[in-house]
Amino acid sequence: MKTNARSFLGELHNSRNVLSQLVSQQLILRYRRTALGYLWTLINPLLMMSVMALVFATLFKADLKTFAVFLFAGMIPWNFFSSVVTQSGTSFINNEGLIKKIYLPKIIFPLSIVAALLIDSALSFLALFAIIIIIGGSLSWAVLFIPIAYLMLFFFALGIGLITSVATVFFRDLQHVVLIAMQGLFFLTPILYKHDALGGKVAWLVGFNPVVPFIELFRAPLYLASLPSPSVILQAALLSLSSMFIGLLIFLRQERKIVFRL
Amino acid sequence: MSSIHVENLSIKFRIYHDRSPSLKDYFANLFKRQRQTAYSDFWAVKDVSFQIRAGDRVGIVGHNGAGKSTLLKALCRVYESSDGKISVDGRIAPLLEIGAGFHPEFTGRENIYLNGAILGYTKQQLSVIEPEVIAFAELEEFIDTPVKYYSTGMYMRLAFSLATAMHPDILVLDEIFAGGDAAFMAKARARMHDLIDKANIMIMVSHDQQLVKSLCNRVIWMDRGRVAADGSPEDIVERYLAGKLNG
Repeated sequence: MKTNARSFLGELHNSRNVLSQLVSQQLILRYRRTALGYLWTLINPLLMMSVMALVFATLFKADLKTFAVFLFAGMIPWNFFSSVVTQSGTSFINNEGLIKKIYLPKIIFPLSIVAALLIDSALSFLALFAIIIIIGGSLSWAVLFIPIAYLMLFFFALGIGLITSVATVFFRDLQHVVLIAMQGLFFLTPILYKHDALGGKVAWLVGFNPVVPFIELFRAPLYLASLPSPSVILQAALLSLSSMFIGLLIFLRQERKIVFRL
Repeated sequence: MSSIHVENLSIKFRIYHDRSPSLKDYFANLFKRQRQTAYSDFWAVKDVSFQIRAGDRVGIVGHNGAGKSTLLKALCRVYESSDGKISVDGRIAPLLEIGAGFHPEFTGRENIYLNGAILGYTKQQLSVIEPEVIAFAELEEFIDTPVKYYSTGMYMRLAFSLATAMHPDILVLDEIFAGGDAAFMAKARARMHDLIDKANIMIMVSHDQQLVKSLCNRVIWMDRGRVAADGSPEDIVERYLAGKLNG
């Protein structure tokens, strides 16, 4: 087991060049030959969230500025999480040509997606953060917690991304199921509303939603200008550890079968 | 000194008769007492053993579907063995299908770095060989054009130049001889021979018997996943062409 782990990490280290190439491929390719280029990565979520802020602030009869800060703080972790889960689903399938021709450590395919999305997310966070400050959000030392929040979110999302990437190879239907499931999960996550606002028959579901602590991790520093409560931090840390553990376990067990099922 | 040991290697493919099982089928089958088998196993390589020592130039011959390419891919670690063992000593160059991993939207130069990384070159090595690769491929003018605008010949030239830019210990070839015009073909052939000369071990799959005879000092004949014969090129190629297993 020890030598296995060492050779696994050693291989990963040796292929860091491929990994960085795949990450930059993802970042560069999307907006090649568009006038605004990579700026779209920032503009796209900004516009999307602004529209949502406008619509739902009106709908909920809330103060636009306060609601915008509230919404942005929740959307940042959610967007990252949901893109990781949906995009890593096709990470092996889209690289079938490569996987069948050349040996590469398989984990670099989902990992490159998660890394590229993290860079996207961090940059759009900076843009949103600027807006939050401009429209009167509170700036406090608690913001320094955000990198730690990202770290925990990264491993949580990567673990689940590993599971979807492997599972989709065996069950192709999953890529469509995941899309719908994420849509549903969005409404079960307190992003548009406060945690205690969803009453009725589905309220208990929110309690089981593993994404909730991660939303809190970002919302406390950005919206409430305070550190997240220790219990939330602990929950998030446990969730990201167990997600990573289960994800790696499933991945390592199935890794060798992937090429035969593509 | 490089060497390759293959012991009782078997590689199994699972062939699904109708379609790949859906999530629903999977769970439905979990609870069924008698599972109907919707697949059958196909052994592309079955119980193959051989040893290759430094200096060996091995040609693999056999009919289509005999398991030649699967065997090569197993040596390059693309396929995991279902049974048996492979141990490879030395840096192995996967020259199975050159141009795999080229991205059509990327320019030639960007593809040198992307595909080079996939082939296992480091960034420093790539920046050293970059001018030489471009010069050999004769693409100085078009190197900053996306490769989707390349002609087939240009694409092949770039892929070939990059894939053959380094000297590996163990050279694995699957029926590649680069395309391009006559002048490039001649140049490519010379480079290929140079690469083969400098390699510690060379393994190739080819249907070109003359090529096998001229380049190899040992030939393995594969038939339906098994080694049918293994010996000197003249002898084995002759028997393979005659379709006879024994003398």
